[in-house]
Amino acid sequence: MTTEAVQSPAFLQVEPLLREKTLNGQIDVPMLPEVAGKVVRLTQDPESDAIELAKLIQSDQSLAGHVMRVANSAAYSPNSTMVSLQQAITRLGMKVISEIALAASITSSLFDAPGFEKYIQHELRFSLATGLWSKEVARVCRKNVEAAFLAGLLHDIGRPVAIQSSLEAANELGVDLTKDDVYLLESHYQRLIGSRVVEEWEMPASVISVVRLFDNYSRPHKGQDQTMVVVAGARFAHHFIGKKQGEDRLSLEELTDSNVLADLNLYQDDIEKILEKEEVITSSLEVMHS
Amino acid sequence: MVVIGSGPAGQKAAIQARNLGNTVALIEKTRELGGSCVHRGTIPSKTLRENALRVKNMRMNAELANFKLREDLELATLINRLEIVLHAHDKYMSKQMTRCGVEFIHGRARFLSPTSLEVTKLRQEPEIINCQRIVIATGSHPRVPDNIPIDHEHLLDSDSILSMMYLPKSLVVLGGGVIASEYASIFQALGVKVTMIDKYPRPLGFLDDDLSSTFISAFENMGGTWLGNTNVIKAYWNGYDGVITECEGGLEIKSDKLLCAAGRIANVSDLNIEEAGLQLNSRGLITVDEHLQTQVPSIYAAGDVIGPPSLASASMEQGRRASCNALGKECGRIHQLIPTGIYSIPELSSVGLSETQAKEQYGENVIVGRSFFDEIARGQINDIQDGMLKIVCDPQGRKVLGVMIVAEGATELVHIGQMALLNDNDVDVFVESIFNFPTLAEAYRVAALDVLAQREKIQ
Repeated sequence: MTTEAVQSPAFLQVEPLLREKTLNGQIDVPMLPEVAGKVVRLTQDPESDAIELAKLIQSDQSLAGHVMRVANSAAYSPNSTMVSLQQAITRLGMKVISEIALAASITSSLFDAPGFEKYIQHELRFSLATGLWSKEVARVCRKNVEAAFLAGLLHDIGRPVAIQSSLEAANELGVDLTKDDVYLLESHYQRLIGSRVVEEWEMPASVISVVRLFDNYSRPHKGQDQTMVVVAGARFAHHFIGKKQGEDRLSLEELTDSNVLADLNLYQDDIEKILEKEEVITSSLEVMHS
Repeated sequence: MVVIGSGPAGQKAAIQARNLGNTVALIEKTRELGGSCVHRGTIPSKTLRENALRVKNMRMNAELANFKLREDLELATLINRLEIVLHAHDKYMSKQMTRCGVEFIHGRARFLSPTSLEVTKLRQEPEIINCQRIVIATGSHPRVPDNIPIDHEHLLDSDSILSMMYLPKSLVVLGGGVIASEYASIFQALGVKVTMIDKYPRPLGFLDDDLSSTFISAFENMGGTWLGNTNVIKAYWNGYDGVITECEGGLEIKSDKLLCAAGRIANVSDLNIEEAGLQLNSRGLITVDEHLQTQVPSIYAAGDVIGPPSLASASMEQGRRASCNALGKECGRIHQLIPTGIYSIPELSSVGLSETQAKEQYGENVIVGRSFFDEIARGQINDIQDGMLKIVCDPQGRKVLGVMIVAEGATELVHIGQMALLNDNDVDVFVESIFNFPTLAEAYRVAALDVLAQREKIQ
């Protein structure tokens, strides 16, 4: 899979339409499931409590089931079995439960991209891994740990939406895009589209700024530290699971040579401290993405 | 010469050595100059304090403006000028270093021998540096007790406390030293419900009891809770909605976050000091003599790495002197008289002997003059309710031995007392001098008159 593909006639037809739609804000942003949106807003409300969160999650049968499954997994509850959501929230905390709920809500079924389901599934898995690794990077750098997960989880949210929008634009024009065409359009427009998605989903300003400036983190901006943390988190995720389906993973040497790790002033022993979290993160990832 | 560390001590050591005509390299492990003082300590916390003070004053003057702090106010907003302040500071320091001709090396230094260092760099080959003289000014980092599992998310230390995104509703502060007192009172002024816990009966134990009592009453008047004589068994994130702090006697306190401010440890773990022939003393610090020279003749040390007073002001002077001594240059009389500034709300500051120390040295009959800021015009105008200045004199009521102040502005005001002490003035100087009116400085005159009145009685 490559983004260096030759621009086919179909691509050349679809690209201007996609550009126009993107710039004019005519992209169809998938609706974040109502429950997930409420969960995010609720956990940002200092007045909210666990009972409200439990009620909210219980209103969505499949989400409640998923949260319980994750809460009862070895990664989260090695020595006990929880029988109620209230108990799970009590045991794991509102923040963890909301992270699980949000991660569970952003699935490939949110996106209408026939033929790309597996590809998108891997992208979402990569984003989830980025969120988990970002927390560990933030911890070592003494940056905010709480905000790192959400920003990491959503940093690439523009990718699946860009794929969906490319296919929609091709349908409108009645042309067929090859996979390489789609990947090329995705890489061109995902950042711009991603920014629109997180704005539409009313995510915190720090998340919006990470999504917008992820590919250009050295440009001075408010929340630059947060962006750098997520870029670093993505490098760790790239090392462990690969960025795209079938793509090579970063070697350890490539990871430790990453500019962003140097920019965060992480020396070899700091990097090793983060790498020690592999087992914990892998098991969290398995269970949250199941 | 090589200087390791670019905090207050390191900077001044490097500049002094360069001014004396030496080739100087300054090794710093972070990208920015300034050390913890600039990036994680003194300057960020003072920037937050300024806004905390504004918030407190707005609350006090609620009738002037219908003021309420937003619930979801980001901490970054409260440190809104920090980036500007740090950027300006960094630029100024870099310029100064460049202008002086100090070579800046970004990397971690470790000793290979008393005159040789290996510098590990980010994504570059290590570099070996040989030099005749080395000044260690690597500073310190927060100490983490075994029973407090700091995760920088729920249980924080002074390096990570300002990484919080939002103000917590409640905060437990462990410790009773300078850092604990500063953060506890700053967050309380911002409306966070703060509980300060320490094993000693009073915070800031090196000050006289009347000063620490004034601090406690000001802190509690703002809504804070001081728990002295309290041992913490353990603290942990309950995995749900708060941090639990378990104390001896069964007391349990739940809070949104916890700040552990249980002292600081010298930054020496990367240095490999054994290779230089150095050893840490029993307090984990590098021992130096009065010339700031270690047991290895070619190596000097300054700043937090040698221990108290651990003040930026003292570190700067130590750095300067370390360079002068290392290069055989006369550096003037060393003043033992270092003012202490505690940037809590209210501020506390002292210079010279405390009343307790004076009694130990001069006997129980030392004369102490006091003035209270709510009894002088400027204090009333400024609505200073918890302010006090005291002058400690010898038993004859003449020689000034020390000055201690608790009130907003104390850290500036103390320098008047410092000058009097340096000049060996009698206490009468404060009565015979005319101060602007109305000013807080008038408190010196009032306290001095109190001394004179007591002096009259014994004559």
